[in-house]
Amino acid sequence: MFPETAQRLKAAAPLVSQTRLLKDLSRLYPHGGAFSLQSRRQISVSGCLSAKIQPPRKPREPVEIPGLEMVTYGERMHFVPGLAKPRYPRWERDYKDPRYYTAPPAQEMPLYKEKPCHVFNQRTSALEGVRQAAWLTKAKVIPGLPPHLLSLAENPENQIPDQDERVQNAIKHARFWDTTQERPRKEKYSNTLLLNLLHLCATLQSRNPAIGRRILAEDHSLAATWTRGDDLFQIRGRNGLLHTSMDPLPEVSGKDEVSQTADYVLETFYPVSPTIDLQQVNVYKEDVNCSGFTGDYPYPHAHTLYFLETTDSCKLRPEQFRAKMVMFTFGNALARAHKLYGTEPQQLLDRPVTVQAVGTNGRIFQFLVFQLNTTDLSGDDGIKNQLWLEDDVELYDFAKVRPLIKKKQVKVPAGLTGYKPEVFTKFLSLYLHGAA
Amino acid sequence: MKIELYTSAARSPIWTKLHLRTRPALLAALILFLPEGGAVVRSCWFVHQRIGSRRKRHTANMAARTRLPLLFPKNLPPFRHKKLVHTETAVKEPAYPPIVASLTAKSKSARLRQVEEQVKKICASPVQEKLSLITRIQRKKFVVYPQTFSRNADRWYQHFTKTAYIPGLPEKFTPAPVEPVAEGSSPSPAALTAVPGIGDDAFADLRSLVTRVILQEQWHMKKRKPFLYRHQEQTFGPLLRSLVTELTHNLGKYNPLLLLSSLDISPQVNFYWRRGQRIIPKGHRRRHLEPTRFQIDDQPLCQIRITQQLPQFTPLEASYAAEVPEITYAPNLMPLFRRQYDNNIFTGAKLPDPACYGHTQFHLVPDRYHRDRMARMQQSDQVEVFLRANALASLFAWTGAQAMYQGFWNHEDVTRPFVSQAVITDGHFFSFFCYQLNTVALSVETDANNPRKNLLWGTESLRLYDSVQDGEVVGLNDDVLKLLVQFLMNQP
Repeated sequence: MFPETAQRLKAAAPLVSQTRLLKDLSRLYPHGGAFSLQSRRQISVSGCLSAKIQPPRKPREPVEIPGLEMVTYGERMHFVPGLAKPRYPRWERDYKDPRYYTAPPAQEMPLYKEKPCHVFNQRTSALEGVRQAAWLTKAKVIPGLPPHLLSLAENPENQIPDQDERVQNAIKHARFWDTTQERPRKEKYSNTLLLNLLHLCATLQSRNPAIGRRILAEDHSLAATWTRGDDLFQIRGRNGLLHTSMDPLPEVSGKDEVSQTADYVLETFYPVSPTIDLQQVNVYKEDVNCSGFTGDYPYPHAHTLYFLETTDSCKLRPEQFRAKMVMFTFGNALARAHKLYGTEPQQLLDRPVTVQAVGTNGRIFQFLVFQLNTTDLSGDDGIKNQLWLEDDVELYDFAKVRPLIKKKQVKVPAGLTGYKPEVFTKFLSLYLHGAA
Repeated sequence: MKIELYTSAARSPIWTKLHLRTRPALLAALILFLPEGGAVVRSCWFVHQRIGSRRKRHTANMAARTRLPLLFPKNLPPFRHKKLVHTETAVKEPAYPPIVASLTAKSKSARLRQVEEQVKKICASPVQEKLSLITRIQRKKFVVYPQTFSRNADRWYQHFTKTAYIPGLPEKFTPAPVEPVAEGSSPSPAALTAVPGIGDDAFADLRSLVTRVILQEQWHMKKRKPFLYRHQEQTFGPLLRSLVTELTHNLGKYNPLLLLSSLDISPQVNFYWRRGQRIIPKGHRRRHLEPTRFQIDDQPLCQIRITQQLPQFTPLEASYAAEVPEITYAPNLMPLFRRQYDNNIFTGAKLPDPACYGHTQFHLVPDRYHRDRMARMQQSDQVEVFLRANALASLFAWTGAQAMYQGFWNHEDVTRPFVSQAVITDGHFFSFFCYQLNTVALSVETDANNPRKNLLWGTESLRLYDSVQDGEVVGLNDDVLKLLVQFLMNQP
């Protein structure tokens, strides 16, 4: 209420401890009016803890009189009372030492631009999830995978011998047998499960030589740029696993369907801006389009991306994880389209670029097929890209090391329960797409 | 004549004294007459006989006793036997329990008996319980690191694991010498297709695949600058993993084992064993004998596990003649350090996994032991030693764990040899090793009469390719590639 009251309180009670004083003051200032007094906390732990705190000393403002030379004690090399403090110019090392490097402010950097760029990276957690990703990529979301894709793995020639038993062994190896401890950790078992399933699918190479025209690449860096309306967008980041192939994937939907997407209206989520949660940078390189590989790479076409939910650095919720999958698939497709057809926006690509993606957390799988029909993304009208998404498919219900017992009844037995073979069929069909 | 006869009824420890005033001949008859005459004879300690007439009854040596021979002839006058027809009964052999040392007494023999009982218990239990019984008790043990900075580590490890090193590879992998060309026949292209089961075209495909993999990692892919001392892991780790996966998948059509195999990335391989003993120098257990325990905890870059066992390279008996270096110093002088923690025996997957046998392991030489760094520290001679020690320890641990998963252990030695392979590389130089485990019985009590030795074959390091320049792999060595393919093609 009254600062004078507070000051008198403080003067009258020099030995009252700070916390009690604050409690008293907080009663006087119920809405945090004593904020300025609270901000000066007693941090030092040596010496007397309960004395009154001196008010902050305001430094004397130096007076600048132009034309007047101040007499400093700089030449005398020691302090002399009455003379001014010498002011020296800033010293810079004449050699470069990385330990003592301070970055210049953004405005002085050579790549600084006035217009900000919105960057989507590995750690971005988009608020609106797949809707936001669909708006940013100008894509029409179609729930469920294309049916002709699923029929690929129904063909008995394309199936692995003893498929169910081997997949169940792969799951058990990943979930139970891979460690000397009782159970492996989530990031370990999700990684092992994905690698085991890929190893199983790759054993079909003996019957299907077209699978031999692919290779797995770890940790490549992706960069792609596009504009949407007035905003500039970039996608940058390092992917987990990428399956690249010598041959491009065939297009999933025909020309008719593609031309029909022109009538589709993109879903907006007013009042939330579509650029929410994207990193805004003013220092960026324009027109970066890099698929992660240089020169004449023998496997130029992206086939499938594999995403794992990393639990340590950034934990993404399922919707945001799916958005990340969409964005990175789109980024790979766009980078390759730019390389093939140039960076000028094209209304309709002659051959749409198709890229697939699979995301998992060790039990739940998300399947995605993205078809890039157009690189003209500035307007909201015209031909759209297409996106088939099948989300939250469980490969098995439970994989328990010890049974779940409630009220002396076994609710869930130990071991693998609730295995669903159709999920692996979808995985296999995505793997075989383009080869079978 | 007075005879004292100590007798005892069948199975009774009570001795009764019979005083008989008879003559020896009559005594013999009496003995035969008695229903348990035979038993009496056998169980008589001694027969007192006071010899002499009445004159000598109270002489000084009255207490002197003579002993009649215990063994009465069994075939005494045969006809006398016939008189006992009516009273003849079947002579039963008494069955007494074996005399063994006590189980609970505070004595050395009781301790030995306890150990015996434990061994019998382990032999009689299923495999999972065997493993847990063997590794149950934690004690201080030497931790053997496969990748070690110690000098001449391979000789020490050979001694710890009873392994003999044979330079070169077994006959399976050494190509047969090309016969001299005779009668104008053109030199067969056998030199090219030295890999059995793969044609020229297929080999050329594999060659181009390997080229593409190397180029992908070293040339085409944009990578960030590697961290300090993690150059090998971040540059050649992905290259080797891609190489192994691509070759395994490609060779699946020639080697059906690989189709059913399991490929592990950075698995754990552990093994625990005992070898040798020492006298405890100090403490409340001073002067006792203590077995020396060892533990290997290894993490290869990747490994291939299969469902069937690989065939042996040489028969068991061939290892009897091999030489294992003997080191008389204590292990801690190597230097080797002791710790106490969980004893693990692990092949890379737990017991229920169907792929319980090992095929090939791949190891990456880390920056710390890279040959350039060894050259800087003037230890270039230790480069090969390091590779051998690494292969020895890793493969011994893997094959030993495989044998234990099948139920063989210290006191139940392997009935068939366990075989595995390893490739150790630093990205440019490749070394190939084959290991045959002939014995797991390495502890003091089981090693005394054990002529079997384990065998390690190995090559020197061979260059796969010189360098990558302008999008081309320069100097790809076909022989090394052939060896690699042969290793992966190994099947029963």
